[in-house]
Amino acid sequence: MASAPAQWDLEVDVACVGSGLGALSAAITAHDLGASCVVLEKADKLGGLSGFGGGEVFVPANRCMKELGLDDTLDEGRAYYEFVAAGFQSQPHMDKLLATMHEAIDYMGEKAGVSWKACQGLPDYYYADAPGSKASGRYLSVDLFDAKTLGEWQQKTWLTPIMPPGALHEEMYAWGGLAKVTEWDYELLGQRIAEDLRSFGPGMMGFFVKAAVIDRQIPAHTETPVRELVTDDAGAVIGVRCEKGGSDFFVHARKGVVLAVGGYDHNKPMATMFEEMEDWNGVFPAYLDGDHLVMGPEIGAAIASVPNTNLALFYGYQIPGEEVDGRPLWRSSWEGGCPHAIWVNKEGQRFCDESFYKDYQPRIREWDGKKQEQPNTDIWLVFDGNYRERYPLGSFMPGQPLPDEMVVVADSLTELAQRMEVPASNLEATVAHFNEGAEKGEDPDYGRGSMPWAIRLVGDESYPNPLLGPLTKGPYHAVRLRPVSVGINSHGLRWNLDAQVEHVRGHAIPGFYTVGNSAALLDIGGGYQSGTSNSRAITWGYVAGRHAAGQAAR
Amino acid sequence: MPEVEYTTTAKLPVDTIWDFVQEMDNWAPFVAGYQSHEKLSEKESTWTLKGDVGVMARTVKFQVLIEEWAGPERVTFSLKGLNEVMEGSGTFQLAPYEDETAAPAAGEPAPPTGGLLSRLFAAIARFFYGLVHGRAERAQSADAGPAAGTSRLTFHLRVDPGGPMAPMVNAMMKPMLTPAAEGLANQIMATLEKRHGLE
Repeated sequence: MASAPAQWDLEVDVACVGSGLGALSAAITAHDLGASCVVLEKADKLGGLSGFGGGEVFVPANRCMKELGLDDTLDEGRAYYEFVAAGFQSQPHMDKLLATMHEAIDYMGEKAGVSWKACQGLPDYYYADAPGSKASGRYLSVDLFDAKTLGEWQQKTWLTPIMPPGALHEEMYAWGGLAKVTEWDYELLGQRIAEDLRSFGPGMMGFFVKAAVIDRQIPAHTETPVRELVTDDAGAVIGVRCEKGGSDFFVHARKGVVLAVGGYDHNKPMATMFEEMEDWNGVFPAYLDGDHLVMGPEIGAAIASVPNTNLALFYGYQIPGEEVDGRPLWRSSWEGGCPHAIWVNKEGQRFCDESFYKDYQPRIREWDGKKQEQPNTDIWLVFDGNYRERYPLGSFMPGQPLPDEMVVVADSLTELAQRMEVPASNLEATVAHFNEGAEKGEDPDYGRGSMPWAIRLVGDESYPNPLLGPLTKGPYHAVRLRPVSVGINSHGLRWNLDAQVEHVRGHAIPGFYTVGNSAALLDIGGGYQSGTSNSRAITWGYVAGRHAAGQAAR
Repeated sequence: MPEVEYTTTAKLPVDTIWDFVQEMDNWAPFVAGYQSHEKLSEKESTWTLKGDVGVMARTVKFQVLIEEWAGPERVTFSLKGLNEVMEGSGTFQLAPYEDETAAPAAGEPAPPTGGLLSRLFAAIARFFYGLVHGRAERAQSADAGPAAGTSRLTFHLRVDPGGPMAPMVNAMMKPMLTPAAEGLANQIMATLEKRHGLE
């Protein structure tokens, strides 16, 4: 921790560290209550993880649903949240999240100009089995955002390679989902790209960046990593020490510091320790390196956690030559859920429903107590010639050559297994057994095809079971997969119902707030539903902004 | 399909520029995103470039085939993607630039040939062309005017992505091509000018 300097470089009421949804929601809210704010961002672009993702905001019984006549209630929303949390939530945190969420989301819509719309046709993860689950409408997204309105920030905001640029959620589903990517309207997408009309995470963060730094003129400093919290003699946080242009840059935050720097995917020792995985890879750019779990504990902040078993861990691969921000890009793999494809572990055996990550995720960490190893961390995507003719692999369309260094190809399963160095007899038996069920549209082992969410995302509706098709036609292909995280981590700072960080002794640390993925998932517990990361970031950013703005200056 | 043409000039004779251009090793590093190239024969080469299309950078490998070697005036080539569904073609064209009647580059609005009004419109059009397309590092003012011993280098490139995503790839590539063409042509000229003490 640092002491106050003789001379501050900048003085504001509220310093928001990070520039994703949590930080900008706090900045917008505090500003509107009369507080002067600043945004301090480590990267050279604004938007954070939120600007790199899918831009889904999960809000039960939201206003857009009501306008569309979609049935939902707060009680049903609560029942669903509690199902997902599986008993690992802090009930007061969850209660306040649900009680405040609509107010915060509507505030950003009405006061910050965020153009919300419901993603129609996308079910809750656990629909229809979970209590309170719904078939459509709980995911909010945004209308197309015209990035030309960002002025100088147009080129300094994140775009994402993991979502199709210019497409809206409902268009993606109407065009047939990921399995039908060859049939999408690329003329339309080309026009939108040419006009820089953004969707998904980049579109959502376009609205928030515009609201904060253009409309409200909140200053934003990029390439300004915060290194230490500055405290007074009483232990209150009164500012931060940043690095800017190679020098120290001290910011006095008279009413509070909101730390919203995401998780720790790129801090290898931290990820290994907290996530209990030796092999941990991050899809997002390398700024998620656990700053909050260094700076917070440095002044006595407590760390809290939820089980790491079923948050948001996937399998993924790298395409040679693809880079983001100067580093190889990890792509999350959805291909294993399509017809004519499976995943096998190094024993050549299936181990999960490949189409539904909530099923396979806990199996990634599975431990073989006799062999003292995790059998499912290093696995293979296997697909046949039918798949190759119909579906893409990452950005490679059917018919496009696949790189030799990435894809193993063979005319027979036996030869493929040899090249994969898995037992050929096992792989052949696995495929034969899978095919037997797939021919009938059944997966008796793992129930692939039973989850509507997975069908909507990667299913091919031209098949009786949109997620199943046998592997019968050569050439056979295999791609090695590794675990990849999307920044939703199990450990974070412990915080109270005002989003204030708590000291290891239990009291709130004055002037210190945390929101977004830096804040432990106390409010959503031991599970994850896409869009809850964004809805909790906005909600608690709103709460933190209001609370900080109401404080007396220090 | 994205297509670009860029012309620049230098106070150097055509033969001097040709001597430089005809050896691809001389200018290969000036190609935007250049990683490596390999000459397979007099006419064939393979290239590896890293292109940043905004959302990410991607390594592209392609084969270049010289279709016409008509020195010292023109080289025409075709290109074909090795790891992408993509085709294309291009030319380097060299000509003496000694009077006002020299033809303009195809991508630029034509110089005025009519009355005052048409000349005014043409001037405005050229101004906006410059605004929209920008200029590479070597300033336009570095271009030589028409004079004896002055040459004009025109680089034309057309890239034609294939596959179902072609319209989207087109839109992503289009903003890259103009600066890439300008950068290549201007760096060739800047290198030669430096070599011949004309900076």
